[in-house]
Amino acid sequence: MTSCSNDSVRRCRPLLGTFVEVTAWGEPARLDRAVDAAFAAVTRVQTLMSFHDPASELSCLNREAACRAVTVDAWTSHVLATAKEIAGASDGAFDPTVAPVLQRWGLLPDLPLRKPGGWRDLELLSGHQVRFGRPLTLDLGGIAKGFAVDCAVAALQANGAESGLVNAGGDLRAFGPRAQPVQLRDPGSPGRLAHGFRLQNAALATSAPTFSRSEGGGIVVSHLVDPATGSAFVAHVSVSVRAPTCLLADALTKVVFFGGPGAESVLARYDAEAFVLAAEAMPLAA
Amino acid sequence: MSGRIHYLALPALVAGAFHGHATTYHTVESAQKACFPDGTEFAPGDVKLTKDQMKAVEKASGVRVRLDTQRVWRATKDGQSAGWFIVDEVLGKHEFITWALALKPDGSVQSIEVMDYRETYGYQVRDADWRAQFLGKKNGAKLRLDEDIKNVSGATLSCRHITDGVKRLLAFHDLVLKR
Repeated sequence: MTSCSNDSVRRCRPLLGTFVEVTAWGEPARLDRAVDAAFAAVTRVQTLMSFHDPASELSCLNREAACRAVTVDAWTSHVLATAKEIAGASDGAFDPTVAPVLQRWGLLPDLPLRKPGGWRDLELLSGHQVRFGRPLTLDLGGIAKGFAVDCAVAALQANGAESGLVNAGGDLRAFGPRAQPVQLRDPGSPGRLAHGFRLQNAALATSAPTFSRSEGGGIVVSHLVDPATGSAFVAHVSVSVRAPTCLLADALTKVVFFGGPGAESVLARYDAEAFVLAAEAMPLAA
Repeated sequence: MSGRIHYLALPALVAGAFHGHATTYHTVESAQKACFPDGTEFAPGDVKLTKDQMKAVEKASGVRVRLDTQRVWRATKDGQSAGWFIVDEVLGKHEFITWALALKPDGSVQSIEVMDYRETYGYQVRDADWRAQFLGKKNGAKLRLDEDIKNVSGATLSCRHITDGVKRLLAFHDLVLKR
């Protein structure tokens, strides 16, 4: 390992509905600007892709893309293309169009119309234009946070940080010569830590139903929806995926939850691996 | 190992094994510097709320007012008002957060910075086993919990209590500070 700088700047802001922490190591004079640029990138992703903000590009797509082709930012276009690719590779185990189920459960703000379309109706045209073949509701909650982490990492690198770590509510990515210690929460008891990793030049994202379990109308629901059945995953299980980018890691956690025996080949295709934490050994693919 | 799904066992819970972890991102001074341009001056003027004021802020914001004293600085640059800098605390489910809200002179939000983040974790007390779980840890460096419990991957923590805190402080500005 080459010598690495011990000078660092670490900051945290509430963004993307969670806490985003950015840490940069390197030449002190550059670090503040690098961290500012990283937060600016995360804020930009939020502005473009928030489901909750009626002014976001995503909200504009949900209102208008069933009627006409809508031109979106290159970042939004990239996330949509990756979302559709992983949906295809996993035969819909990852699906960015399950929002109506979450709306019915009160986990996302409701829209007046239930829409019948699915990920296959998402049409990506030239010039970053997007159109819905049938009316549908897109929700990038399962992938945009990871992309925001990647954009923050790119901003740190472009501004001269030697090493860095970006953690958006548990979706994180490290770059540079430092191996970063990372702990996994116990999915049944989030105040406990269960396992430790060292992460170097890689991303790790974790999905678990723990914080979204709610007793809505007498049933326990979560934001983890099986696209094939429309039912929620509510057991105390977490899935963490290590992948080259946080965008991939974030989306692939859903593939492991719902992809059945085919999940491992999807992970292999993206050079990723998964770690499942459960109170009792219970293969997800069974 | 790409393509593999690894099933990990959960360590058994040992009663009383808790570890408090705190991260300090900012002092008051560094947070002020991060929120306002160079050359801004800050005059402290903490505000003690009356019972009626606390009730009014609760009513206007829909958020409970827990403390009757608010730490406030008036910001000025070149003799002109540059806004307000307010330090506040919120209590989450698993965490306790000190944070700063910077307001523009018109009372709109300029920026938000987390200053201190404290969280208590339980962990398996049999240290040797616990430490042995660190994959790829080969440099022999001794794992120090204080240093190393800083990056946690798991279920997303909501920042809703900060969002509520912003609502409460905007009502505080509107009803108390600007009068």
